Amino acid sequence: MKTIFLVDDSATILLSISNILGKAGYATEKAASGEEAMKKFNAGVKVDLLITDLNMPGMNGIELIKQVRKLPAYKFMPILFLTTESQQSKKMEAKAAGASGWIVKPATADELLNTIKLVLR
Amino acid sequence: MDELTSVFIQEGREQLQAMEDGLLQLEQQPDNHDNINSIFRAAHTVKGASGVIECHFIEAFTHKAENVLDRLRNGEIQVSSELTGLLLRCCDHLGRLMDVLEAGQAEPPAEVSAAGNTLLEELSAYMVTPEPSAGGMVEAESEVETSGGGVVNTDSWHISVRFGPHMLRGGMDPLSFLRYLTSLGEILALETIPDALPAADEMDPEACYLGFEIRLQTRATKADIERVFDFCRDDCELRILPPNSKLTEYLKLIQELPEDEMRLGEMLVRCGALTQHELDDGLSSQQSGTSDEPTSPIGEILIEQKVVQKEVVEAAASKQTRVQEKKAVEARSIRVQADKLDQLIDLVGELVIAGASANLLAQRSGQGELVESTSILSRLVENIRDAALQLRMVQIGETFTRFNRVVRDVSKELGKEIDLVISGAETELDKSVVEKIGDPLMHLVRNSMDHGIEAGDAREAAGKSRRGRVELNAYHDSGSIVIEVVDDGRGLPRDKILQKAIDKGLVQPTQTLTDQEIINLIWEPGFSTVEQVTNLSGRGVGMDVVRRNIQSLRGSCEVSSVEGQGCTFTIRLPLTLAIIDGFLVGVGKASYVIPLDMVIECIELNGQSNDRNFLNLRGEVLPFVRLREMFEIEDEYPARENIVVVQFAGQKAGIVVDQLHGEFQTVIKPLSGIFRHLRGIGGSTILGTGEVSLILDVQSLVQRNNRREERDMNSSLAAPRQGA
Repeated sequence: MKTIFLVDDSATILLSISNILGKAGYATEKAASGEEAMKKFNAGVKVDLLITDLNMPGMNGIELIKQVRKLPAYKFMPILFLTTESQQSKKMEAKAAGASGWIVKPATADELLNTIKLVLR
Repeated sequence: MDELTSVFIQEGREQLQAMEDGLLQLEQQPDNHDNINSIFRAAHTVKGASGVIECHFIEAFTHKAENVLDRLRNGEIQVSSELTGLLLRCCDHLGRLMDVLEAGQAEPPAEVSAAGNTLLEELSAYMVTPEPSAGGMVEAESEVETSGGGVVNTDSWHISVRFGPHMLRGGMDPLSFLRYLTSLGEILALETIPDALPAADEMDPEACYLGFEIRLQTRATKADIERVFDFCRDDCELRILPPNSKLTEYLKLIQELPEDEMRLGEMLVRCGALTQHELDDGLSSQQSGTSDEPTSPIGEILIEQKVVQKEVVEAAASKQTRVQEKKAVEARSIRVQADKLDQLIDLVGELVIAGASANLLAQRSGQGELVESTSILSRLVENIRDAALQLRMVQIGETFTRFNRVVRDVSKELGKEIDLVISGAETELDKSVVEKIGDPLMHLVRNSMDHGIEAGDAREAAGKSRRGRVELNAYHDSGSIVIEVVDDGRGLPRDKILQKAIDKGLVQPTQTLTDQEIINLIWEPGFSTVEQVTNLSGRGVGMDVVRRNIQSLRGSCEVSSVEGQGCTFTIRLPLTLAIIDGFLVGVGKASYVIPLDMVIECIELNGQSNDRNFLNLRGEVLPFVRLREMFEIEDEYPARENIVVVQFAGQKAGIVVDQLHGEFQTVIKPLSGIFRHLRGIGGSTILGTGEVSLILDVQSLVQRNNRREERDMNSSLAAPRQGA
């Protein structure tokens, strides 16, 4: 079973996405902040995909992506970030930081799962 | 309500509170970027989360507010008090929308949506109509139709893609795209283009050098296919030709791609996009066609340049804001349902009682080792009790900061200038107390602003600064929490209060009262001195309701006032409502608990002052109350009696009891409703022996005793006069 790591400071979004993923047969790992996520990455958590919010207090999503990419174990892991239509400029920045792609919020379950299918090996 | 919605409501309310706090700060510090960012982030989170739970009326409204905040964040509009006022009202409106959602209604009622529409109209003044987004895409698509030539008859799409070198490092795998394409339709033919692959010693194993020519049969639209490559569009070469495209489109493709024209042509033929004949035709006619072609690539380069420029600018701008963003360290906390905590406290309470009983049995058994181990146990239980109670403690700050908003709004409404000064926001008290203290505090603060603080002109005339000042202070004082509401207004008008009390028949005109007694009349039911009933206070909720609310929390309230200089309301609350340290005393066969925080000392009552209920304690008059008389206990008098000296809010009194049993951890079991009117008893507890013991309400005992003493004094003074 593939494991997907969700990072978002919004409990609502964490819960809703993990509900969708759970129904689609993915395991999930969750963190409510960039710092918490990094702690798990540094501990070598086994995940197949990272989905992170960009806009978070403390360590933001872009910083998180940069940090994760520095770790050899996650050099080629697909990373998706959550964004909105209004944040086009962030997309470039996140891509430059090492993100693979994005999910535009609010996404339907199908959009979400399709995007995941696209990037997951 | 499902779990997701309730999580959203909880989170949404927190975010709204954060927004409101931020907006209030904004007026003071309009240039604080961190603050503006966090306001924006809060709105953004609400919008995102409401979208997820598909609550569209919240999402739509927040979206508009977020747009305005975004412009504010980008410095396109300036902070003004109208704008913050409007945004605050938007917060309120969002709060109402949350209520609607919480009540399970699908749509907000008409008046709420009307209010929302008014706000949206006001918001629109701060918005510009967005320019139609990036024309690049549209142009690129229409370009397909521009050039003429014969049609290539195929029923399939042709996709040429050259992946960028950074693909793998970005976590993407070329194979994922191919696999995903198969979910759109059938790949009829596929040619791998390895031309970019360098010699082995120059090859970077982490870079991607591959390209593909793909023939795809699908019912999907061009947009669908493009979407597959969305994530790598920026750093890959992608050409998508629809079925039955014109030959020139293929030629253009061949020209523009980096590989050698002839070789690429062969590839296309090999994967079945073109026939050899079509290719030959095309390449030969190309020589004549090239002259009018070059315009379009240049156009495309321009577009590309424009895109790059825009992105560079935007990236720079966002980098700037990121630098300014302070790394706020959020307090790490776990969210726990309140009733789980209550359950824990209940259990700890039972543990304390059981521990006391074990302790008692151990002592009776007289086994030293057993006594020792139970005493270790009870010490641990005590620690657990403290730790468990600590869990329920929250800072009062959150309750206090709500008043920033209240003071701001009310002072505008009243046309007065009033500052709110908060101190001791970090003082902790029990959550259930914090929840219930809001209303009484609100009443006191509004009261101070309405009746206490004078209008600006009157203040200047009185030699005070034009701006009024209301303080909210909290601090610990001998086992209780003290909250003060202080204003520097005109103070309580002594004469007016007295006159009013006489009019209302609360006091007799002949009675002489001290200033403090007169001021205390405001706590009497149905008392209000302002003739003109304003919109704030005077809604028929008097100070007596405030007092009753506070008393229901086992607290007390006092007022002191200096005319012309202001007045101070002091609320005194117990630290916790569940478990206290008590002092166990016995009268006859019954035992009672006095809260230990209030006990000052214990002395022996010797024969003196048997007729009067006060004694001389080192030169001070100490009134006392005899529990034996008060509770009409008819057991025999003991050989000697003791007095427990207690202090409450600066007032000392004695309680006469038979035996002193000492310190006792007391789990408060509230009395049921039918005992509500009992005075002098605050609750009950269970002793180690399993017996029930009553907890004394020292405050009402002392007050009651004082009143009776006064009555006795009055009647004994009046009696001789009658006789004369």
